[in-house]
Amino acid sequence: MTATCKYPEVNQLIAELPTRERDELLDHCELIELTNGEVLSVRQVSYSHAWFPLTAFISVKAAVSEHPAMEIGMIGHEGMLGVTLLLAVDQAPHQAMITGPGKALRISRVELQELLLGCPELLLGLQHYCFQLMKQMTQTAICTHFHRVEERLARWLLMTHDRSQGDDLYLTHQLLANLLGVRRSAVTLASGVLKKSGLIGYSRGRIRILDRQGLEEAACECYYVLPS
Amino acid sequence: MFKKPEPKCEGCESPCFQDNLLLKAISAEVRERIYPHLKLTELPLGDVLYESGDVMESVYFPTNSIVSMLYVMEDGRSAEISVVGNEGIVGIALFMGGLSTPSRAIVQSAGQAYRLDSKHLKAEFSRHGELHHLLLRYTQALITQMAQTAACNRHHSIDQQLCRWLLLSMDRLKGDQLDMTQELIANMLGVRREGVTEAASKLQSAGIIQYQRGHIRVLDRPELERRCCECYAVVKKESDRLFEAFSYLPEGGSFHS
Repeated sequence: MTATCKYPEVNQLIAELPTRERDELLDHCELIELTNGEVLSVRQVSYSHAWFPLTAFISVKAAVSEHPAMEIGMIGHEGMLGVTLLLAVDQAPHQAMITGPGKALRISRVELQELLLGCPELLLGLQHYCFQLMKQMTQTAICTHFHRVEERLARWLLMTHDRSQGDDLYLTHQLLANLLGVRRSAVTLASGVLKKSGLIGYSRGRIRILDRQGLEEAACECYYVLPS
Repeated sequence: MFKKPEPKCEGCESPCFQDNLLLKAISAEVRERIYPHLKLTELPLGDVLYESGDVMESVYFPTNSIVSMLYVMEDGRSAEISVVGNEGIVGIALFMGGLSTPSRAIVQSAGQAYRLDSKHLKAEFSRHGELHHLLLRYTQALITQMAQTAACNRHHSIDQQLCRWLLLSMDRLKGDQLDMTQELIANMLGVRREGVTEAASKLQSAGIIQYQRGHIRVLDRPELERRCCECYAVVKKESDRLFEAFSYLPEGGSFHS
């Protein structure tokens, strides 16, 4: 794809824009490197920027007190963080954190909002994506409520794999447990099952995808319902 | 402690556009364009407005009804994703460009709503004016509600969730009563009926609610709020913020016009 030829990696949302809108948006973007665990937005606090991941990916989380925040959405090169800025609110509805370090393009909130005023195509594209993200939240909510940890872990690994470059993910069981909204022991148990079946390998905070097809069979239907 | 919303315009007894807070917040100019196309519709309990995957033909602005967005899985189990009453609109997929929704829209409390067909909604929305702004703001409040509900379902007890659910429902109705079976509440909360029965009888024996043959009456609202998890306040605050932001509007903002 020549869409974002300025950069070797592509953000799908930007790539799908008409040329004029895309170039205009890219003119206002800067390329940055995001590190694991970096917090990009805090609930109720104004966004500084909006981010379009290239190789990085972001966990969008919801929290209730006394529990670590759990993941309700995942954003990678198919999307953006800060899409709710088009909803005429500066404050973030969620906290968001990097779970996959890598590159992203970012644009300041003010510049994006100015662009949106004169760019109906951009507004429309982001509106569609916003709705996609809401669908993803719906699916994640239902999955969290009903499905077994093992199925959910398999789905999560697949979604992550779709958004990352290689087959290795760097995450502790504790972080994974927080994101899935379960106890650490449940993640240890579930990943033990996946490991035993030869679907993944793990050691010291590194998870390696060994058998993608097998993981797809182990995942709940939620993975297929969601466009990735 | 929360103030109960007062959706009714003063001295008005018959159904009125102002019973829906979004319709109330728009200016005279926009009203003139869309009011003629609004059709008052009866929504009986359990009525399905859309099935998941359906292409929508209209949106609904509830007045004294409550519509629940329910996700139903293949095996029939279900849980509520969000709830819409007089503060909102059912069918955001229509203007967000999604065409269909992943959830079922089902009437959770019988009443009325104003229906607007997609053609007129889209025409007004694409003017990128006031209604556009208002509906997008509402979408943000809805996103907050969805996220909070997801976390609440995961981490809070059925007792707390039932309190949240009752408070959110009562806020959207004009009184302190609701007709609802335990079976339906169980489907909304995504739990077994026995769980709801147990939680409801705890509230009943504490004198907080009265529950008889599907009829619920709230007797002690402050206590209901005290027993509730924080999730109710989070959702309520976001929705209040939305209307505060619109109260500056010269026409629609004067909430008694």
